[in-house]
Amino acid sequence: MFQIDIISRTPVYEQLVRQTEKFILLGILKAGDKLPSVRQLSAELSVNPNTIQKAFTELDRRGIIFSVKGRGNVVSDKALKALEVSRRSEFSEIKDKIKDFALAGISRDELHKYIDEIYDEMGEQK
Amino acid sequence: MIEAKNVSKSFDGFSALDNISCVIPDGCIYGLVGTNGAGKSTLLRLLTGVYRQDSGEVLYDGLQVYENPIVKKDIAYVPDELYFLPGANMNRMARLYSSVHPGFDNDRFIQLAEDLRLDRKKNIATFSKGMKRQAAIILALACKPKYMFFDETFDGLDPVMRNIIKAIICQDVEERKAVAVITSHSLRELEDTCDQLALLHRGGLVLESDITKLKTNLFKIQTAFLDEYDRNRFEGTDILHFSKRGSVSNIIVRGDKSDIIEHFNALHPVILDILPLTLEEVFTYEVEALGYDFSAIFEREVE
Repeated sequence: MFQIDIISRTPVYEQLVRQTEKFILLGILKAGDKLPSVRQLSAELSVNPNTIQKAFTELDRRGIIFSVKGRGNVVSDKALKALEVSRRSEFSEIKDKIKDFALAGISRDELHKYIDEIYDEMGEQK
Repeated sequence: MIEAKNVSKSFDGFSALDNISCVIPDGCIYGLVGTNGAGKSTLLRLLTGVYRQDSGEVLYDGLQVYENPIVKKDIAYVPDELYFLPGANMNRMARLYSSVHPGFDNDRFIQLAEDLRLDRKKNIATFSKGMKRQAAIILALACKPKYMFFDETFDGLDPVMRNIIKAIICQDVEERKAVAVITSHSLRELEDTCDQLALLHRGGLVLESDITKLKTNLFKIQTAFLDEYDRNRFEGTDILHFSKRGSVSNIIVRGDKSDIIEHFNALHPVILDILPLTLEEVFTYEVEALGYDFSAIFEREVE
């Protein structure tokens, strides 16, 4: 299920968190769905169980999953809402890129148009 | 240039190597990897003329190696299990080596021992395992061989020493068009050092290839679809490994990257991520395809 890039500089737990979030955003994992257990993932990916637990703890902290005694980790029904909030706080991550575009002479309208195109493309898929 | 032509070797009816052919050009660092018991050490002993092959030929620029001193004077071989004369120090070993290898360069020997800070007058038996390796490597390099063979030699060295030795070997290869054949289990290591790689499994040569080529035609794909599907959806691609959990699949595919992307995109996945494989993964999937697969161990434990 998960794909770990061991050459990447992104820590493994971060990769797991990112991928789980992506699965939820794309509707591959839905509220109430169970995640594989730490034991299973650890064996499957040959990754230290503590690393996997760290990813789960982080997802739990962000309100994306919660752990149920005896059932393992389950996707929260507030996950999408939590992701919306967290993505909104990441606006600043594209700030430098936008500044870079502006400096290179790309107009506001051009960028707007590009963003519209992406949204339209995604609308078609859904 | 070393050429092995249809070489086979068996011991008491057990076929250790079966019909191996390979070409190792001058100026090449050749990595030899394989599963445990695949025949790597046997192949090295055949290439160095320690063993006589049952059939086939091992040629150095067209000359047979077995019992041929003309060829063997250019060979240095650091075996897996090192041998030193009982109670000998490095100076004593150097005298032995120089009596056998006409090209033995005593200045180089002294220089290397000094560089690596090994005491030439100390009994080698008192050296640590890693230091014994270093001593054997120094002695081999001091012979200024055209052909160097290292059987899991680097696996016992610390990272600093490993890089130093690798750098010295690379220099020799660069300056003298020397050939180094290295077996190792540290694929990460071979990845940066070797230019050619051969993979052995059960006495056969599974593949022999340029390292860069090896890494550019196998890919790890993560993909997902919202509807139900199975492996059959990807018909028409060369799949080595397929695993699926929920609607997410991890697939190992062989082929051209842009063709693969095009093929998969035409299926309209919700996710499509492509990563190149590490050498270690290439190894794992290649031998898994040949039945060297132990995933059952984990399935049994997890269930």
